[in-house]
Amino acid sequence: MHGSRGSFSGHPSTRAVARSGALLALLAAGWLASVLGAPQDSVQGVVQKILYVHVPCAFAAYLGFLVTGVSGALYLWRGEARFDRVAAASAEVGLLFCSLVIVTGPIWAKATWGHWWAWDPRLTVTLLQWFIYLAYLLLRSFTEGDERAARFAAVYGLLGVFAIPLNYFAIELFGSAAMHPENLQRGSLGAGMGLPFLAGVLTALAAYLHLLLLRADSIERRNALQELLEARGS
Amino acid sequence: MRVLLAVLWKDLLSEWRSRDRVVAMLIFSLLVAVVFHFSLPGGAGARSQAQAPGLLWIAYIFAAVLGLNRAFSVELENDALSGLALVPVDRGYVFLGKALANTAILGVVQAVTAVVFALFFQLDLLPIALPLAGVVALGSLGVTAAGTLFAAVAVRTRFREVMLPLLLLPLLVPVLAGAVRATAALLQGDSAPWDALQLLIVTDAIYWIVSFLGFEYVLDE
Amino acid sequence: MSGALIRGRGLEKRFGRSVALRGVDLDVRAGEALAVVGPNGAGKSTLLRMLAGLVRPSAGTLLLGGIPAGRPGARAQIGLVAHATFLYPQLTARENLLFAGRLHGVAQPEARAARLLEEEGLADAAGRAAGSFSRGMAQRLSIARALMHDPPVLLLDEPFTGLDRRAGDSLCARIRALRAAGRTFLLVTHDLAQAAALADAALVLASGLCVRELRGAELGAAALEQAYALAAGTAR
Repeated sequence: MHGSRGSFSGHPSTRAVARSGALLALLAAGWLASVLGAPQDSVQGVVQKILYVHVPCAFAAYLGFLVTGVSGALYLWRGEARFDRVAAASAEVGLLFCSLVIVTGPIWAKATWGHWWAWDPRLTVTLLQWFIYLAYLLLRSFTEGDERAARFAAVYGLLGVFAIPLNYFAIELFGSAAMHPENLQRGSLGAGMGLPFLAGVLTALAAYLHLLLLRADSIERRNALQELLEARGS
Repeated sequence: MRVLLAVLWKDLLSEWRSRDRVVAMLIFSLLVAVVFHFSLPGGAGARSQAQAPGLLWIAYIFAAVLGLNRAFSVELENDALSGLALVPVDRGYVFLGKALANTAILGVVQAVTAVVFALFFQLDLLPIALPLAGVVALGSLGVTAAGTLFAAVAVRTRFREVMLPLLLLPLLVPVLAGAVRATAALLQGDSAPWDALQLLIVTDAIYWIVSFLGFEYVLDE
Repeated sequence: MSGALIRGRGLEKRFGRSVALRGVDLDVRAGEALAVVGPNGAGKSTLLRMLAGLVRPSAGTLLLGGIPAGRPGARAQIGLVAHATFLYPQLTARENLLFAGRLHGVAQPEARAARLLEEEGLADAAGRAAGSFSRGMAQRLSIARALMHDPPVLLLDEPFTGLDRRAGDSLCARIRALRAAGRTFLLVTHDLAQAAALADAALVLASGLCVRELRGAELGAAALEQAYALAAGTAR
């Protein structure tokens, strides 16, 4: 149930953090190279390259919430604290990526279409997701008692996961203006654009993983330290 | 099953005795309706009928949040919530009883509010009364399922009055979208669009099932 | 069926920064009365509430008649009387009991409620709102509530708190009477004299661990005082 309370440098999750960090550095370098080397879009110009950040971040944002929901469910089922740590860490990291999506989206939109915001379906779903993430984290911090917070958050996270596809259909019902290119299939991307997207997605996933492990590890350390202090006699 | 009925009976009996929740919700939604009149350019009336469905559902949701906050604060006195947690059956049945009671109470408020809106916006609700009631019921079920679950959660956090709407509103978008769409169609004299009803039914089903299952964990200490 | 009715092994309750229990074993035979004592923060209430199914153990097993505590089957066997009364102030005493009876699937709850109100001396106040009761009366109603479904195990969490001398004595007498009927008791209390007088065995907790267990003949007021002092010293 408890990780080893010996020296932290040999601690399994610290090693995992280091390894994922190395992987991230490698992928990020490759991604940066491919982005710089990618041809400029004839219509949209250089701004189109922001999509190499925007789309991968979206992947990570949605993955993040999926992990939070599943991990929370596992926590409820098994009662093991590490599932809750992963859920909490994933929510924090996911919120970060979600925020990036919401920021980069309008930047691209303004440059391409002229407005900052037009209720594009995918961006709207991401916005709602952002609120769900935020509510999740606020729930955690405002609930008295760590274990109660974990349970409440897990239940909320579970409903939140279902809410994502439901929100998508809800927005479709509204039939709003689609700003997104409908075309994320392979054939429709211009020549030479596939690689930076792929690299971007891989990099984002690696970044997500690394930050997740980093954060989960830091939560665990803080808890262990607190427990040690209490046991020593406060 | 009998636990469900017991909780339903207890909640409705308490509410009937004091009537404080219903009265507060009613006054609030009437107030909101009046405020809407002043917030629309040209006021509420035949010209602004297109806004009516959306505003009606906003009034419903606000009233629901108000009532839901109260639904569990009564359980905190004397820690009655723990008393409920001791039931020798799946705690989800406690949830069902509470959620149904909330739906019933909300329903009363919704009926009166609809009449007031008909008055303010000069709507003729009589011919569509039955299908409208159906749509409103479908929407309410979505609201009360998630609402009851989160009310039980929010009541044991700091800032509980703020916590409930914060948790609930992002999850109510599907319900709002479907309900407003269907209500608008009915008011225009069309039948409710199937895709809106479908969204409502699926959302309701998911929310009720997940809330039923999750309530067991919410009622732990 | 001999052997322990309640059996706990290695019970822990810890999460993140808070630790309530660090490994407690528990053995209670049917018909036995166990007192759980210790300084504040020792984990006594946590242990009791774990048995009631309100708190899930982080580790260890806890069985009631072979069923894991917290499962509906286990919850059916216990009645809990805590400092909070679980009563609805706006409902009458009778309605409170009827509600509890219905929650627990009692057949003919009206008859049972009437009998319990009689036994607790509350028959005259049956039609009064529970919110108007004094602390002593509310406590008695709370006991009646716990007994509605006739549970074989009764858990009492510091029931003497807030009671005056007379109410405390009558509660003592009530517990003795219920014990004579063969119920199993777990009593958390700060009143060591009462614990020694009422119980067959005592568990002394400190900081989430069992410091001493006293059974039968070795359980006396003095021995309990000594164990408590040890526990208080350990807890710092």
